[in-house]
Amino acid sequence: MVSAQLLAPLVPALPLAGAVIIAALRRRLSGHAAGLLATALIGGAFLCSVLLFLGFDPAGGAQVAHLFDWIRVADMRIGLAFQVDALSLTMMLIVTGVGTLIHLYSIGYMHDDPRQSTFFALLNLFTFAMLLLVMGANYAVTFIGWEGVGLCSYLLIGFWYTNPAYNYAARKAFVMNRIGDVGFVLGLALVFQVFGTLDYTTVMERADTFATGAPALTAITLLLFVGAIGKSAQLPLFTWLPDAMAGPTPVSALIHAATMVTAGIFLLVRSSALFVLAPLTQDVVLYTGLVTALCAATIGVFQNDIKKVLAYSTVSQLGYMFVALGLGAFSAGLFHVTTHAFFKALLFLGAGSVIHALGGEQDIRRMGGLRSATPSTYRTFLVGTLAIAGIFPLSGFFSKDAILAHAYQYGPWIYALLVAGAVLTTYYMFRLLFLVFFGSYRGQAHPHESPAVMTAPLWVLAVLSVVGGALNLPHLFGGHEPMKHFLATAASGVGLEHLHLSALLEWSLMGFSTALVLLTIWIAYGRFAKQATLDPEADALPVPQRWAARKWYLDELYERLFEKPYGWLSTNLSALLEQRVMQPLMVGVGGTAERIGELLRRVQTGNLSTYLFAMVAGLLLFLFLTLNGL
Amino acid sequence: MLLAALLLLPFATATLLLVARPEAQARMLAMASTLVTAVVVLLLWAGYPGTAVTVVDRDWAPAIGLRLVLGYDGIALLMLVLTGLIFPFIIGAGFKQQLDRPATVNALLLYAQSFLFGVFAAQNAFLFYIFYELALVPVFFLLLFWGGEHRRTITVRFFLYTLLGGLSLLFGLAWCVLQTPAPYSADFTALHALRLGTDVQLWLFWALFLAFAIKLPIFPFHSWQPDTYTMAPLQGTMVLGGVMLKMGLYGILRFVMPIVPEGVLFWRDLVIWLSIGGALYAGAIAFRQREFKRLVAWSSLSHVGLLCAGLFAWNSYGVSGALYQALAHAVLLVGLLYIVGAVTARTGTGDLGAMGGLKLRTPRLAALFMLVLVNAVALPLTQSFVGEWLMFNGLWQHNGWMAFAAACTIVLGAIYMLWAYQRVMLGPDSGRPAVADADRDDHLYLVPLIAISLVLGVYPGPVLDLLEAPVQQMLNTLTALN
Repeated sequence: MVSAQLLAPLVPALPLAGAVIIAALRRRLSGHAAGLLATALIGGAFLCSVLLFLGFDPAGGAQVAHLFDWIRVADMRIGLAFQVDALSLTMMLIVTGVGTLIHLYSIGYMHDDPRQSTFFALLNLFTFAMLLLVMGANYAVTFIGWEGVGLCSYLLIGFWYTNPAYNYAARKAFVMNRIGDVGFVLGLALVFQVFGTLDYTTVMERADTFATGAPALTAITLLLFVGAIGKSAQLPLFTWLPDAMAGPTPVSALIHAATMVTAGIFLLVRSSALFVLAPLTQDVVLYTGLVTALCAATIGVFQNDIKKVLAYSTVSQLGYMFVALGLGAFSAGLFHVTTHAFFKALLFLGAGSVIHALGGEQDIRRMGGLRSATPSTYRTFLVGTLAIAGIFPLSGFFSKDAILAHAYQYGPWIYALLVAGAVLTTYYMFRLLFLVFFGSYRGQAHPHESPAVMTAPLWVLAVLSVVGGALNLPHLFGGHEPMKHFLATAASGVGLEHLHLSALLEWSLMGFSTALVLLTIWIAYGRFAKQATLDPEADALPVPQRWAARKWYLDELYERLFEKPYGWLSTNLSALLEQRVMQPLMVGVGGTAERIGELLRRVQTGNLSTYLFAMVAGLLLFLFLTLNGL
Repeated sequence: MLLAALLLLPFATATLLLVARPEAQARMLAMASTLVTAVVVLLLWAGYPGTAVTVVDRDWAPAIGLRLVLGYDGIALLMLVLTGLIFPFIIGAGFKQQLDRPATVNALLLYAQSFLFGVFAAQNAFLFYIFYELALVPVFFLLLFWGGEHRRTITVRFFLYTLLGGLSLLFGLAWCVLQTPAPYSADFTALHALRLGTDVQLWLFWALFLAFAIKLPIFPFHSWQPDTYTMAPLQGTMVLGGVMLKMGLYGILRFVMPIVPEGVLFWRDLVIWLSIGGALYAGAIAFRQREFKRLVAWSSLSHVGLLCAGLFAWNSYGVSGALYQALAHAVLLVGLLYIVGAVTARTGTGDLGAMGGLKLRTPRLAALFMLVLVNAVALPLTQSFVGEWLMFNGLWQHNGWMAFAAACTIVLGAIYMLWAYQRVMLGPDSGRPAVADADRDDHLYLVPLIAISLVLGVYPGPVLDLLEAPVQQMLNTLTALN
């Protein structure tokens, strides 16, 4: 077995090499070749991750591969170092595994785009940054990846750059992420001030010396959470994610569903030792996640764009993950990250396949009956829908149930709200499924199934969505929660959570939520499968549905509160304060001097050379005289 | 020897250009000179023993304490390296942005380089002052004769405004020299040994600081900057913003902090708030600028505000970060200005409102712009991030709210830079006639700049190590004070 020291840096190096090679050779390389190369390299990174996983001994703790000192000033030593432990391995396998499938799929999806090579270079660059994020041995390396994925996200959302709306969406994503980053950067500064280092192992070890509720830890965790809010699209910074659907669909699957948006959850799990000591922050995380989960779910019900439905669903599911973290159930949160990566990537790629089949159509009101035309897409999409709805025994059932059980233990009313969210999720997902694949076709295109290079990844993800639950099978089903025990070796906050519910209660909770979900499916079937009930435009809906369809007016609110006033401020600081006050002030100060300038103008002959010669001659004379005479 | 070459080579080449006027070969000659100087400066760095070096030390005008003392420590060396490395790019910009009478233009630029080397090598306050003011002269002519609209008014205003600051500095320095034991000495060593009374330091701080505050500039002494940067010929702006403003930073480190430390302690919160406030103010104004070059000018103002704040945090992180950022800012500004020139040459306008869709015609130029831009928004693994990260830490250790306000600039920076990028490059085809994409020369120019920003972003060690000792030494003054 090759040592982790060599293998670990290879994992991010392979996609980086891909990005550089494809970017450098993009004129000589055909788009297809670029796609194959990109896929091969990320596949290589996946293999390396598997090898690392197989050779990893959880009992031995984290293995750190230190490349060199990155920033070294006074007491500050920040290494460019990678850490291989249970947490980073889990994320690496998701990122490279799901990433490989999405790269493969993109070969088919992007095959007639003239800028295919650029696309694959960026996709590889994204994977590189994402790997830095999850593999970093300290907060700074994670931050490198954090900003890197933000840049790639910006570039890929605005990939079709001639469309101003897409460019706006791309900028919006970057700027809203940056708002979160202010919190992240300051959080890092505080971590360094408090712990004297940014290395994860040292920080987590020293965390034990703090009492529960220590102000320093509360501040650190709150600041880190602000960063997580931006990246993982939680209230109040989630509005960029639905707009980010402007990017090509594989991008939505990889970046805006399976990997990048879960970076916030990763960060919190990575810092779990700090979060368990900050109950105030835990509550903030819990309620932010809860409100976001419900808010996004209500919006999702009224969306008519196939990708927007999935986008709001992603926001909502991320909310569930944060609820888990807020409850201290870190492994449950990361378990849901994993299963969500499977089924949401599957759903997005399925949606891409539908869009591909219909020649770019995204409005579900102009779809329908695609069951027969696109059988593979339909079957896999059905699996994804069942998984996200949490139907036994698909992966979503187990990961969602783990969160629900913890919620019940914390407070039944949180459980109730989460179940309500699950019901909404089931409703809008089955509405989507039925409107797209059932009934009769309502559009004008000629639907056709996608090529095998696109359907094969769908099937693989479908299988993973079915069996993914086994990764963390609970005791109730004869499992031993292997993922939880694996993760507990990496993050000291993991493994502290315990369920004290009786088996009978657990069975009843499960039965209750499953019954509600099944009932919802039946209702959705009646409304959308038998005959398609199409929603009118948002304005024609009654209140309060109209409010939800209008995204609770958040975009309008931000525009009025921030965008417009900032534009006004920018214009008027310049036009009023600068032109009317600062400039005249300067002229006033300079005014006296300017009169001296008049004198200067009188001796002005207009011949530049004369001045220059005078200047140089004078200087030389001065030098000569003083050096010799004194 | 090497240090003397730095001062003399550009001076000699400039004089040659002025006398022989080889208009056709002027650019190549100037380029050759700056490339040799760049090599010399790198040799100087390679041979740096790790402690302060004095090269020349002889009397000149002992009556006023003026002596010819040249030397350098790590901080000065960084500034010399900066000047040496940036000038080839400043000269290089002239190959695309051709101005009339290239011999004279390049002579002026080389004189400026020579004097700037003098500023950073001087170890005597009056010598520093002479070079400091001399460096302004060639730039003054450059602006006055090759500037854009309203060049006379703006140039004269700029010149007098900075001269005013200069006079205040001269007065402050003269006063300090008179405090040294007879026979008076204006050597740095003598001035740094001064122990002035607290009352004195409180007013003397402003006498010394004012010149540098104008030179940088920081709010509210900045109003000359946007007009001057916008009006100046591209190369003039590069000299002003790329190198000359670092004289301000350097001056603060050499004079203000060692001579009036108690003054710094007293005034620093005010200065930091002015700097950060100015950084936010400039960042907000940059967003809605219609003129591309003016937007870059305001963005530079915003970066410089942060830089000054980092410096006045007055701890290892803040000072090292500010110095590191000085280099990063030079690389960034020259790159951005070159992009401005390249875009303006292609679209025939500097008006952002009239641009758009250029990427369709010039995908390579767009890619190069993006690579410069990531440095502008201080993404990690670029030079600017290292500087900003250190400055945020420096400020954080001084005052959390200051760090918060400073960190907000990363949002404002993203807003105006991405907006500028979109206005220039993205969007539908503007329907202009075909223009050429970035050619070999453009790559030859921008790729090295981008390489510097990435290499020093990934591996800043050599530069940071250079700063470690002198910064620590400087901070010891503060420790001694407490």
